[in-house]
Amino acid sequence: MKGYDRKTIGDLLEGALPWQQTKQIMSSYKDDDRFLKALAAHQMRVPWKARILLPLGENLYIVLKEGQRVVRCSCGFVFGDASRNWKLGAVVLVRKTRQELEEIYPHADVCDGNWMELREFICPSCATLLEVEACAPGYPIVEDFRPDLDAFYSEWLGAPLEDASGEASPNEHGGSSLSQPPDRNT
Amino acid sequence: MKLAHMMDGHRASKGPLADQLARSERLFASTGHYAGLEDLELRQADPLRFETVHMKLRAFCVSAREMARRISASPGVREVGEMVVALYTPEGDAVALSNGIMVHVHTMSRFIKWMIRNEYEGNPGIAPGDIFANNDAFIGTVQVPDVMDVIPIFHEGRLIAWAGAVCHELEAGGITPGGDVALAQERYAEGLFVCAEKIGVNDTIRRDYVIRCERNLRMPIYWVLDEQAKVAACIYIREQLLELVADIGAETLVSLCREFIEEGRRSQLARTRQLTVPGTYRGHAFYGHITSGKPGFQALGDPDWLYAIPIEMTIGVDGKIMLDFEGAQPWGYHSMNCTPAGMDGGMFVTLTQHMNYEGMVNAGAWLATELRLPPGSWTNPDRETCATATSWALLLPAFGVFQRLLSRGFLARGFVEEVFVGQVNSPMIEMGGINQHGDEFGIAHFECAAAGSGALAIKDGLDTAYVGWNPESDMGNVEIWEQEMPLLYLGRSILPNSGGAGRFRGGNAFLSTWLVSKTDELRLVTSEHSSRVFDNAGMCGGYPAPTCQVHRTVRNSNIAQRARNRLPLVHDLGPGQDRLASRLDGIHEQTEGPFIAAPMKSGDIFTHSYNGGGGYGDPLARCPKLTLTDMRNGHSSRRHAEVVHGIRFLESSESELAIDWDATKQARKSMLRNRLERARPVSAWLSEERQRVMSRDFVPEVRKMYAAAMRLSPRFAAEFRQFWSLPSEFSFEDTGAGKDPSK
Repeated sequence: MKGYDRKTIGDLLEGALPWQQTKQIMSSYKDDDRFLKALAAHQMRVPWKARILLPLGENLYIVLKEGQRVVRCSCGFVFGDASRNWKLGAVVLVRKTRQELEEIYPHADVCDGNWMELREFICPSCATLLEVEACAPGYPIVEDFRPDLDAFYSEWLGAPLEDASGEASPNEHGGSSLSQPPDRNT
Repeated sequence: MKLAHMMDGHRASKGPLADQLARSERLFASTGHYAGLEDLELRQADPLRFETVHMKLRAFCVSAREMARRISASPGVREVGEMVVALYTPEGDAVALSNGIMVHVHTMSRFIKWMIRNEYEGNPGIAPGDIFANNDAFIGTVQVPDVMDVIPIFHEGRLIAWAGAVCHELEAGGITPGGDVALAQERYAEGLFVCAEKIGVNDTIRRDYVIRCERNLRMPIYWVLDEQAKVAACIYIREQLLELVADIGAETLVSLCREFIEEGRRSQLARTRQLTVPGTYRGHAFYGHITSGKPGFQALGDPDWLYAIPIEMTIGVDGKIMLDFEGAQPWGYHSMNCTPAGMDGGMFVTLTQHMNYEGMVNAGAWLATELRLPPGSWTNPDRETCATATSWALLLPAFGVFQRLLSRGFLARGFVEEVFVGQVNSPMIEMGGINQHGDEFGIAHFECAAAGSGALAIKDGLDTAYVGWNPESDMGNVEIWEQEMPLLYLGRSILPNSGGAGRFRGGNAFLSTWLVSKTDELRLVTSEHSSRVFDNAGMCGGYPAPTCQVHRTVRNSNIAQRARNRLPLVHDLGPGQDRLASRLDGIHEQTEGPFIAAPMKSGDIFTHSYNGGGGYGDPLARCPKLTLTDMRNGHSSRRHAEVVHGIRFLESSESELAIDWDATKQARKSMLRNRLERARPVSAWLSEERQRVMSRDFVPEVRKMYAAAMRLSPRFAAEFRQFWSLPSEFSFEDTGAGKDPSK
């Protein structure tokens, strides 16, 4: 179906679109060009120029940087090769004592640190909290998502990735410093 | 075991239906298309008729369900909508469904196929006017209270379809009252089983079947009238369908139904390719269970245990979704095991909400997905006598993981409006004993059908308005529940901060506070709430919701005296969770895990809280205005706003709070710095943690969890050893984590 303009998609990604308009989008048939529009909106949002190949999370992307696919935070920090779990390149804050847990759960019944811990995976550069694992102590760190990028681009988008190298065009709106993600709400 | 000979296997065909089923499966296996349909000829020839007939079939189902709900006496069906009606092909494949508990797209399908494979065409026979019922999860349902009825639809002597209906019964006659029989540790304690039984002929339910129900259930009126409602729904569909056949012909109808299913299969694949990204997705949830010292639990296995629920989802280039539960724990002597039919149900009710919300929701979607359920695990028990009465306790966290995995695909593809942190468990309270009228009774309280939902990537989750298992989530009116049970509501209150924190928070839950009234014997039982671990998760920096609630009771309370003296009563726990203690005299108790205790009586107080959903995104990126609104509406406390979100306020009265934007910005910067000061490189943490793993320095429940998972799954064991760089002989077997007696 017919797509939306880039600003609408950008506002939607930011959670800034009025609810009635958002609801309309939710209830309508999906727009076939969404991925490319969303990529463009993401590319405008980040303060760096390397080409985004796929969003991995709220502030994480697989990007093409100097010919390599790497995982990058929206602030610019590079976690490493996309074939490796990005969490291994993060810093982690583990909560397992009652005091540590009550910082997040004041006046609530919390988990028992002997049975479960919270692992907060944080960007070493901008300190954004990127993912929280709630698991038994000793449980291996999970790789949330390993996309099959080549198949996605070649089979589903019809644009093999091998043919699309280089960086995106200069970002006219990427304004914030490299060490801070865009500050949305304060 | 006795039931083994009747398992859902491929047996030699006996009868035309069995031949038809075998042929259909052969065609799918050889062509990859349902019934071998490589072309949808009827759709191509007349697309308008194709859509019109499908809409009519759906309308039959929806109308039948609405009519049937008026026959039911159960508030679960009438108020909360715990019912679904569906139409199946002669081979038992779902063609069209009503709204409602769409869990049962494939459970009734398994039931019908089971009868065909087990030679029901010969004995007891399948004839016009027959009524078959089932609530055996190993044949095809989720749990014992999900009782399903199907009738064959004949036209000129030929079986052309089946109509089916399911109601969730509020009382199943098990060892504890209600339907989600918390105390059941084996099949034999779960209640009244109807195992693919012919319960009626000539459109009439047999009297001896009704007598059996009346003599084995605590509250037979619910079950028996629900049977009438389901049979009425099925007959309604039959009559409507035969009218349609008179119009378009039986052969056309049967052919169209097959095309609907193939179309459904193609739609499912196309939708996956449209909304997601191929690849491998992984996630997990955990569930803790505490029964040590509780009355009634037999020493058949460990009383306290921890389950890991890992899922690997693979989306293939063809769009097929495959869920693999490798690494799941073994089944146990508790009521939370699940059969493959139940796992189908969990997947379908999730898919209908996220991908199949339009178009053809039918067996085609099942053909475009795959569940890999390790034999011997709780997802696929290798003993058919294990209990499954509260399988939702593990199903809901599991399919909450599925929702988050799908959402990672939606997020990557740019469809952020579909990103959803998922469902949570919905702890249930059930009861029996003597009601306010002096009669014996039993009921499941279905206000649990309104938990907080997980957050979305674009907004906060729904408050007190969502459960995954019933897309028409509804807590029901207080007055209706008070009619059915000897409890008076002192309060039904939002639980502030009960959603997981995040840029968008999870939906909040509610808590009910009851006064036991006009009875000296009220047996209260609860189930499906995790102890010691959160059984949900956040996403992209959001936190899990705090789902480890305890039950608070006050026996012999002085509430009547307080009422006489016109002193404030108790309507909730208060912000510090201490209001019961501060206002009421009596015997105060806090119970962790399932509430199974001595009966309560008039004047006692009981509280039960439900679950909020997980959060999305970094809580320090939350718009302070959203939290201020939350505070004004009782959804968030000031302390939560300050400590979790770093929001600072201009000093003013509580009712006129205003955000101090500069101070908030400074506080958040300080909290970000604090994060980096406290956090360590993952590599350094892993190195230290490896030593802990090597020394197996965990509490027994954690060690046993690893031992059991590694024993059941060599793949999980290998991955565990590889991740921590452990020697190939490493195990948890020699650390006091002895084998569960059940294994």
